[in-house]
Amino acid sequence: MRAFLAGARVQLSFIRAYPDALIPFFTAPLFTVIFMMIFRHSGRPDLTGYAAIAPVFIALWWLALFQSGWVIQTDRWSGTIELLVAAPSSFAANVLGRIVATTMLGVVSFGEAWLVARVIFGAAVTVHHWWTFLATVVVTLAAMAGTAVVMASLFVLTRSAATFSNSASYPFYVLGGILVPVSLLPSWLRPVSSIVFLSWSADLLRSTLRPGSIHHLAFRLGMVGVLGACGFVAGALLLSWILHRVRGNGELAHT
Amino acid sequence: MSRLFENLRVARFAVLSGAYDYFAIYSLRSWVFGWMVRVLSQVTFFALIGKLLKSDEQTQFLLIGNAVMIGAMGGIFGLNMTTAERANGTLSLLVASPSRPVVVFAARGLYVVADAVLSGLLGLFIIGPIFDLHFPWPRVLLVVPLTTLVGLSAYCFSTFLAGVILRKREGQGLVVNTTIVALMALCGVNVPVSFFPTWLEWLASLLPITNGLEAIRDTVNGAPAATIAWNVLAELAVATGWLSLALATFGRFVGHGRRDGSLEYAS
Repeated sequence: MRAFLAGARVQLSFIRAYPDALIPFFTAPLFTVIFMMIFRHSGRPDLTGYAAIAPVFIALWWLALFQSGWVIQTDRWSGTIELLVAAPSSFAANVLGRIVATTMLGVVSFGEAWLVARVIFGAAVTVHHWWTFLATVVVTLAAMAGTAVVMASLFVLTRSAATFSNSASYPFYVLGGILVPVSLLPSWLRPVSSIVFLSWSADLLRSTLRPGSIHHLAFRLGMVGVLGACGFVAGALLLSWILHRVRGNGELAHT
Repeated sequence: MSRLFENLRVARFAVLSGAYDYFAIYSLRSWVFGWMVRVLSQVTFFALIGKLLKSDEQTQFLLIGNAVMIGAMGGIFGLNMTTAERANGTLSLLVASPSRPVVVFAARGLYVVADAVLSGLLGLFIIGPIFDLHFPWPRVLLVVPLTTLVGLSAYCFSTFLAGVILRKREGQGLVVNTTIVALMALCGVNVPVSFFPTWLEWLASLLPITNGLEAIRDTVNGAPAATIAWNVLAELAVATGWLSLALATFGRFVGHGRRDGSLEYAS
């Protein structure tokens, strides 16, 4: 737990020191403006909830791709990874602390998006199912952290990590149905979407903004949790295997 | 005259150096299966909003706007040159050399513009037909130089911004990303600028992309040649304005950095 908290503290210090880490908190309000303008211009104020939810996913995904995903590589570049691995506390707990701290920060974008909708467009985002909303947010954050653990591990292994970071944004926005529901995608693409936790999460969050009852709540929430848990397990196994490998061949600090 | 040739020689080497950078970043495989997948997804993401709105007109508006935006995005990515020079340890050498840093900065990132323009055009011509966008032949050929103009115009704007932020050790990524999304919001990419209040419409017309994108929409929609020409002239004027501003201010920003040592060491 101490390693986890220490990791979280270090990560928050990094984020304070490097303005680039704040990118999603500058772009989330702008994306909200863009989506709100599109819906207002088309005479569809009923889609305000869609416009307020999508920028949050964009911010969370960006944090996973460009911050959490790089925590291990950053340790390698800064020469601190040997010390962390040699320390008696758990390296995995430290990494997880850093990733969870980064992911939790993404919640700020909820406030930003909804504030922009309210202040600039005078549109209120009404949550009709508060408990479901909160449960979905918590499970989504956990799933996002799980996915980020996989990225952090994979980025150590591949030379194309930067290319992946730059490329893996919009494909997942489409597959995850973060703005446009998956039901509008071609039918051959929907099975792929169903293994992307974003698609279940975005759909459920949009449902909480509608007054009607929410169908299959437990199953949908469970899918977000299961897919996120798969990420955690895969990430933990990868991390353990990578550490074993780079310790064995002396490549711990080399990229 | 010899000064001009000297600058052209520097620009040639800067372009070559940029091209080598580019081929170090992307292989053909990572470009096709990484970058292009992102480009096609980005255009699709916005075009799908039109489907959500059940409007073919909106679908095509969003598709064209966001495909052209890819072409402009590369111009703004040129801002990353300052970070790259500093990270490579070449910024101080570049500033100390007798050639003009602005020539190097302006030429070295041209490969990003070429890449982005090609990507934007592929995005338009691959995703367009999937969403039933029809291209009037042979007028549609005009879209190629017009997208190039938009890309170069955005690059002129980003060269000016590069001078402004040259002395900042951190924050280029923040400026790049925020600028791109702000331009997506302001330049008629997702809604017509006529949707804005008048003052904002004026501001948008002074930014890169706005007028060139309008010319591209006019071309696809079969507007009169005079309307297209007017928007092309406006985009050329905007690009020239930002380039002139970059040329006029870049040396000053570099001079400040030299005096207070902020080019390498300060934040």
